[in-house]
Amino acid sequence: MSEHSTEAANPSDSAFKLPASLSKLALPLCACGLILLLLGWGLGNYHGGRYAMSVYLTSFIYCLTITLGCLYFVVIQHLCRAGWSVVVRRIAELIMVMIVPLAILFLPIMVTLWFGEGTLYHWDSSEYQAANHIDAEVWETKSRFLNAGWFFFRAVIYFSIWAGLASFYFRGSVRQDETGDKSITDQMQYWSGPAAMLLALSISFAAFDWVMSLAPMWFSTMFGVYLFAGSMLSAHCMITVVAFILQKNGAMRDEVTVEHYHDLAKYIFGFLLFWIYIAFSQYMLIWYGNIPEETEWIYRRQLGSFGVLGLILIFFHWMLPFLGTMSLYVRRRPTLVFGWAVYVLVLHYIDVFWLIMPETHSGTPGAVANAGGVIGVIASVLCVLGMLGLLAGVVLRVADQTKIAPAGDPRFRESLAFENI
Amino acid sequence: MSLAIPQGLDNTVEQPGERAPLVLGDTTYHDITESVCRVAERAPSKGWIIGFLISFALLQWLGLCILYLFYEGVGVWGNRSPIFWGWPIVNFVFWVGIGHAGTLISAILFLFRQEWRTSINRAAEAMTIFAVICAATFPGIHVGRAWLAFWLAPYPSLNLWMWPQFRSPLLWDVFAVSTYGTVSLLFWYMGMVPDLATFRDRSKNKYRRMAYGLLSLGWSGSSRHWMRYEKAYAILAALAAPLVLSVHTIVSFDFAVSQVPGWHTTIFPPYFVAGAIFSGFAMVLTLMVPARSMLNLEKLITIRHLDNMCKIILATGSIVGLAYSTEFFIAWYGQVDAEIFAFVNRAFGPYWWAYWIMVTCNVISPQLFWFKKCRTTPWIIVVISIFVNIGMWFERFVIVCTSLSRDYLPSAWAYFTPTWVDWSMLIGSFGLFFTLFLLFCRLMPVINMAETKSTLAKQYHMAHNDEH
Amino acid sequence: MSDDSNEKKVHGLFAEYDSVDSLLAACRRVRDAGYTKTDAFAPFAVHGIDTALGIKPSKLPYIPLVAGLTGTGIAMLMQIWMNGINYPYIISGKPYVLSIPAFMPVAFEVTVLLASFGAFFGMWALNGLPRFSNPMFTDPRFDRATDDRFFLFIDAKDQRFDAEGVRQLFADTGSQYINTVVEDDTPKQIPRFLLIVWALLVGFSIIPALIVAKMRVTNSDKPRFHIFMDMDFSPARDAQQTTSLFADNRAMRPDVPGTVARGQLGDGLDYLTGINVDELSRMDSPRAEQLVRTFLKPQDDDEADAAGPPAAPSAEQAASADQTASVMDTTPWLKENPLEITADLLDKGQEQFNIYCAVCHGRNGKGNGLVNQRAQQILAQQWIPPASLHQDILQQDKYPDGKLFSTISNGIRKMPGYSGQIKTRDRWAIVAYVRALQQSRRASIDLIPADKREEITQLKTEIDKKLAEQAEAERKKQEEGEQQAAKS
Repeated sequence: MSEHSTEAANPSDSAFKLPASLSKLALPLCACGLILLLLGWGLGNYHGGRYAMSVYLTSFIYCLTITLGCLYFVVIQHLCRAGWSVVVRRIAELIMVMIVPLAILFLPIMVTLWFGEGTLYHWDSSEYQAANHIDAEVWETKSRFLNAGWFFFRAVIYFSIWAGLASFYFRGSVRQDETGDKSITDQMQYWSGPAAMLLALSISFAAFDWVMSLAPMWFSTMFGVYLFAGSMLSAHCMITVVAFILQKNGAMRDEVTVEHYHDLAKYIFGFLLFWIYIAFSQYMLIWYGNIPEETEWIYRRQLGSFGVLGLILIFFHWMLPFLGTMSLYVRRRPTLVFGWAVYVLVLHYIDVFWLIMPETHSGTPGAVANAGGVIGVIASVLCVLGMLGLLAGVVLRVADQTKIAPAGDPRFRESLAFENI
Repeated sequence: MSLAIPQGLDNTVEQPGERAPLVLGDTTYHDITESVCRVAERAPSKGWIIGFLISFALLQWLGLCILYLFYEGVGVWGNRSPIFWGWPIVNFVFWVGIGHAGTLISAILFLFRQEWRTSINRAAEAMTIFAVICAATFPGIHVGRAWLAFWLAPYPSLNLWMWPQFRSPLLWDVFAVSTYGTVSLLFWYMGMVPDLATFRDRSKNKYRRMAYGLLSLGWSGSSRHWMRYEKAYAILAALAAPLVLSVHTIVSFDFAVSQVPGWHTTIFPPYFVAGAIFSGFAMVLTLMVPARSMLNLEKLITIRHLDNMCKIILATGSIVGLAYSTEFFIAWYGQVDAEIFAFVNRAFGPYWWAYWIMVTCNVISPQLFWFKKCRTTPWIIVVISIFVNIGMWFERFVIVCTSLSRDYLPSAWAYFTPTWVDWSMLIGSFGLFFTLFLLFCRLMPVINMAETKSTLAKQYHMAHNDEH
Repeated sequence: MSDDSNEKKVHGLFAEYDSVDSLLAACRRVRDAGYTKTDAFAPFAVHGIDTALGIKPSKLPYIPLVAGLTGTGIAMLMQIWMNGINYPYIISGKPYVLSIPAFMPVAFEVTVLLASFGAFFGMWALNGLPRFSNPMFTDPRFDRATDDRFFLFIDAKDQRFDAEGVRQLFADTGSQYINTVVEDDTPKQIPRFLLIVWALLVGFSIIPALIVAKMRVTNSDKPRFHIFMDMDFSPARDAQQTTSLFADNRAMRPDVPGTVARGQLGDGLDYLTGINVDELSRMDSPRAEQLVRTFLKPQDDDEADAAGPPAAPSAEQAASADQTASVMDTTPWLKENPLEITADLLDKGQEQFNIYCAVCHGRNGKGNGLVNQRAQQILAQQWIPPASLHQDILQQDKYPDGKLFSTISNGIRKMPGYSGQIKTRDRWAIVAYVRALQQSRRASIDLIPADKREEITQLKTEIDKKLAEQAEAERKKQEEGEQQAAKS
């Protein structure tokens, strides 16, 4: 420990500036992202308005899970008074403030509810009940929860919780960069307990609202946890990816070490296991219980190409990366960890896609056999790349105005000196 | 990173950038050895003898009840149609839950590098094993024919050449609980070997030396041995961590794969696991708080340890509370009549009292741990953790009995009434648990000396760094 | 101690330190001085000692990995084979082989169990433990290696070993205590009393096994022990037993006077027996009388019981009929089914046949039902294969409907009577269905309406072809199996 701490005792300030090679990418990324996003959405309209909006929702949920995962990451680090993670915490902090642009990106979804009846959510359409022979009384009760007004109100609450927490932690951390005030850390730790609970509750309900209610009659108490597992997994991957890119561009060369990659890889490994645990438990209980109103959702996801995607999730979202990140050899090679992180991020997109897209065609089971064909896939890819690019541009813009590591954190030195073995 | 200077024995204050010491006072390596070995080497105290006699008497009572059960049949329990799963299964799930804290502390906290685990993991692991023994008793006797338990083994039956039914959650239970018991035992024993060597090297008596010598396998403390030992420990921890989760997950499958309203809900696996950790930590605190003062271990099991455990209780208690409310919400959201009825019946039906005891003890009482005063005052901790234990027992009671007593067929509805045998077995199982635990305190190292010493070494190192 | 070292074999030298830092410093010096056969002893795992001593990482992790994967494999194959192939269970409609989700929990547990065994036992094996005799233990001072002292040891086998040089090196590192490690010459035999205790324990533990073994091979005319009552002595009364519960002391309760079984009112005797009773009374009046007495009990008679009595005499009678059958069956059986044959009746007959008869006779009536298949599989010795219903002697001209009805009702050879389970009308329905079944094997194409004949012939050729292929394949498979069996 002592060997490390002496050499990195006074980290040069330049290491914590966003490299110019990256900062100049901010505007082009934003612009390209917006164009791609619109292109993707436009192309999705080939399969109809519902398909286009579903593609958009998929991208939105994908980015949202990463962002919320980072927010949770930051809160947990404070909750546990973690030392190891301080050097990479700012990366998570920069990603978590993307909740603000995401709130704006949520507006198109609200627009479909206000102006286009039933474009995205079936509960918004008046025909769904009749087409699916749903009991009028049941439908009436459901509508008390699932209606545009309430839905909007809840979304406002979720976003205010998230944006509030994100800005609290981001501002505190940035303020500390200059002052190095230890009491800020105290304060952040003090609020981390309630913050963690509030987040758990709001993420769970947001998952019910935005994804689960796509199939209005289906329900699973575990659903929020499932999305949460994916979100924590992808957040750790994203932090790894960003840290690696920053280092490749010359920032934080000495600060983020093999040890941090090792730990991130362990968390990726752990959350892969957690994800399959939740996914398996949910599938198992529905499969075994075999109650029609529950199996219908899974059944829809086992038809045609979605069945293939489901198998891909088992073998390539879980088994392959799980075995891949198991060995010490891989975990202590940053390039390999980076590779796996990118891989898991791609597979996480497939996971979200598999959750959302089967609800695109509805009413007639069997019609979901294909996921949109070549055009659909291109539209999805364009859309998600667009949204990611747009947000990456904003992240770079914000990062350019602050440091990329919380050098004022009292545990910064502990994190630099951190060793796994 | 530097070392925080504690105020007397209160090491809960930690400035950011500092780490609080976990071994207090001017303790040396030898002091650790002394204070732990003394527990087992000196003559038993009066308190220990009285405690042991009481628990041993209760254990005998349990044994008699079991014999009576074998002789008379399961009719001696209150299990009646439609509540065929009465107290035995409630007790089973309760004890298995208690058994989760030990391996959690040893394995998961180890993987998360939480060093405060070192002085509490040994006793917690011992509790795990004893709790698993208590738990295994109930499924063992629940059909009243314990000697036919071998039917659960995968062997072809003699007449028909047929095999056990692997699609049954009850068989999964057999595999899960026995694997968990075995792995916990290996883990516990392996952790204890270096400490047993300490016992061996300190013993004056020839037979004692021989016994501990056999148990410690000739451990010499060689650094090559330590290296492989640490590696094996890490691997076992990595294996035990998902194992802990799997055990209560599988116990939850017993309920959740069925179609009984109130049981069939997908949140059960994580919710059961959280509940198990919750009750396990509560039991650890219930035992450790009195034990640390009786055995004079305040410098090793510090207020900070208690504080941290209380925080975990608070966190898991809140998760459990969250799960209760999610279940209610989804029952309403799902709009399935049977589910709505099951949950309304839980809270306002004939078992309303059990439900509200559960909510009060499990969700409301741990909220007191938001206050630091409550997390650091031993007697408050004990009171709350006993409440949590009661609450968690009632949780299982509520799940089992409310759902079964109001099944789909209203003509079969009934109310569960326990018999004196039910009561005796519940109390007797505590006798079994405490007997084993008290014996453990006398015969085995109650604190992991080796690991506590390595924590102390790190502390020395930190203090040393401060000077420069 | 050091005086003894002249006589005993010297293993090496060790030095004592009182802190981690001094130990680590000494380790580095020893390593840099070129010693390789070294070891350090500490009461806890010292951070950084591996590099300080130059110890290579262990291969241990591979053991649990292999063990774990073995566990997964064993558990999955075991479950699939046991529950999906060897003895397929149907449980809540789940697939046989592909019940993967249901097999996961056990697979996971076995994986973890074997991997843990691998880690635990692998570690001890690699460490060479248990090893109770260790030269290091000869020095009482070494007892503190598990308390608060740290030791560094250099093996005499090291190429650079030289007692004086090492002693000097140790002294330079600031050690307060340096000593040689000598052979452990304490007696190596296991103490006698331990052997005795062990022998006694083994001896006693064999006794129960011996008792059980003896019990299993000896006969006894005494009743079995009943430590636990089990279900051997059920408080419920058996047939023909007495009870004090009722005034007449009979456990079996007669019907309430005037009881008529559903649907049995007004059924003729012919209908109930399958025999033309008028004819019988002319041929063999005592037998007819007996038959009449069995079936037509006065309702006020205490003996009356709807299900019980008829079975016994009829079975007797059937048996006698059976005996004479080989000579000549003179019983005037009903030639025709007394019921009107309708599609509904045949459906009913098919349903009942598939429930009660098909388990043995097979759905196609060929006598190869599931029970028979299982019996063949386990080579049951007492098993008499059920008859094929398509034999010539069972056709309507040789085996009248009434006789078939009587066989169903009263049983034949090993087959029990089904009059208790199947209602009279349903038994007749089964008779009708069996006739249809027989017909299906023998019908000629002329019976089919002219416009459908072509279609049917075409279908038949196709099916015949497939069947022939299948039979060929099965024959081959069987031959191969026999060859293999012959080989092994």
